[in-house]
Amino acid sequence: MSARALRSIAVTLGAALLGIIGVLAGLWCAGYPPATVVPTWLAAAAGNELHLAGSLQQAGPLLCAGLATAVAFRANALNIGVEGQYLLGAITYVGIGVHVGHAPGVVMIPLLLLLAMASGAGWALIAFVLERTRSVPIVLSTILLNFIAVALVSYLIEGPLHDPVTSAPQTEQLAPGLRLPVLIAGTTLHVGVLVIAALAVVLWVAQSRTVFGYELAVVGANERVARLTGIRVERVRGLAMAISGALAGLGGALQQAGVTHYMSDGSVSYGYAGIAVALLGQLHPLGVAAAALYFGMLDSGSAGLERHLDIPHDVGDILKGVVTLVVLIAAVVQWRRRPWSGP
Amino acid sequence: MTLHAWLSAILVQALVSATPLTLAGLGELTAERGGVINVGIEGMMLLGAITAFAVGMTGNPYLALAAAPLAGMALGLVFALATVVGRVDQIVCGMAINLLAVGISGTAWVALQNHDLTALPDAAAFHRLWGQQYGLTYVVAGLCVAWWWALHRSRAGIIVRALGESAEACAANGIAVRRWRVSLVLLGGACAGTAGAFLSIMDIQGFEPGMTGGRGFLVLALVIFGRWRVEGLVAGSLFFGALDSLQVHFQGLGFDRYLPYQAFQMLPYVAALCALAVLSRSAPGPGQLGRPYPARH
Repeated sequence: MSARALRSIAVTLGAALLGIIGVLAGLWCAGYPPATVVPTWLAAAAGNELHLAGSLQQAGPLLCAGLATAVAFRANALNIGVEGQYLLGAITYVGIGVHVGHAPGVVMIPLLLLLAMASGAGWALIAFVLERTRSVPIVLSTILLNFIAVALVSYLIEGPLHDPVTSAPQTEQLAPGLRLPVLIAGTTLHVGVLVIAALAVVLWVAQSRTVFGYELAVVGANERVARLTGIRVERVRGLAMAISGALAGLGGALQQAGVTHYMSDGSVSYGYAGIAVALLGQLHPLGVAAAALYFGMLDSGSAGLERHLDIPHDVGDILKGVVTLVVLIAAVVQWRRRPWSGP
Repeated sequence: MTLHAWLSAILVQALVSATPLTLAGLGELTAERGGVINVGIEGMMLLGAITAFAVGMTGNPYLALAAAPLAGMALGLVFALATVVGRVDQIVCGMAINLLAVGISGTAWVALQNHDLTALPDAAAFHRLWGQQYGLTYVVAGLCVAWWWALHRSRAGIIVRALGESAEACAANGIAVRRWRVSLVLLGGACAGTAGAFLSIMDIQGFEPGMTGGRGFLVLALVIFGRWRVEGLVAGSLFFGALDSLQVHFQGLGFDRYLPYQAFQMLPYVAALCALAVLSRSAPGPGQLGRPYPARH
């Protein structure tokens, strides 16, 4: 590992630690000494098999959204649209899934996942095509497409896909055959999380060992150089956007298939959190995995604080806000060195 | 209600919706004419909104209105130091500013709720004046005229426009490029912060996380839509204000029998996307938009 990589890891870890210390100091001032907060937090995040499973499950969609963001950012295609692509993937899986409940899951699950990936990729490619043909900046079009996706999904949930037995805005439940098996009984840790973890490794190998990974790095570092070396820049950027959208769509679909089993108007999307996860992970697949795990543990850990120490349940949100904040300051420091400017 | 009453209600709401877009747009337009693209105005609006709301708890609306631009400028300072002085990529940094603002405003909102401060006291809310509009709308209308004059007829306006075309030429003429650009970003932050305050203590009279709902991004599209000119921005804002107003009033008009309300919800964003698709290519914008100065260390 190069000195630069080590330094970048050290800076990021330091920033995350600083964020934790800041939050602990705040809680201390509010009357909760670190001596009780830290053990409770750790126990809830990774104290036993069940809690660790909860953290890992929470990390799954964050990792998928983080990987999606990272692969596009690496090609200098600022895809802020993972939020919308995630939602489209999720609604594709649920929307078609509730109509084909009797089909065998062995066939249907992979097929539906592929369709979800295609819809996410298609949504991302709108932005790419608009940039290619009409010079619309990707960062703007993807954001606008997020708002369009939210309204579209809301329409589908309240309209054609609405569950007739309830007045609440939600879809029907997925048939048991279309749900993903859980790994540990009594938890929501499902097979999909393993798939996402495997994808992180695949992306890592692809980025460091294949021609496409090399081209991605060159395009991200300097488009003119890439063009002069004979790399088809637009093809690489388009492919990066498609992969990004497909990953986002997959993340949405796996979350529905593995955890929630239906969609409601208030469905949580991990798209925007994925940006913070990707930046904290320095756009490196393994770094993103570490960042997603950290965020996942943060989520389940703060839930534990609420359960055991009677700390108001809002404190979990404060914790998230502060950590995101510190992550970003660290990222700004890192950007001066442009961490994704090549291997 | 008669048709006449509906039309006037829609017009009133159109002006209300157009006000924050125009105000934030003036700041963004000026910064972009000076060569700095600030994608973080959504976040600056959001921080302005929560700041005005929080300060409004004291019961003094003018204090609340004064605090919002300061909040926007604080974020603007972070952005300016990183991009203009530190030469960090402007678009990525702008997105970071947005996430930062979501974190800060969300945290502040939770903290306010813990103290049962969730509703703005009556005394802290502004009231509608002549023509069912808030006073700020008239101020913004006046600002548009002043802004056009300053940009096209004053020495400062010439400098701003030159900065966006060639920072090197400005520097050769003894203009402090980075100091000017930092000031322009701060001005943009103040405008965006005040626009956020308009939402929280005037238009909506409350706060909820993410309440700016993409208006900051619409503003970015509006600046392109208006081809970086004040009159174009005003025309675009009024158009989008009217679209937004239709969304608010469509149920009363009975349109929901034919179209789901979400169709109206997505209308401004679809229109913005179409406008960008039509106009981005023919409107290249300031020559050095987004490029740091000096170009090389």
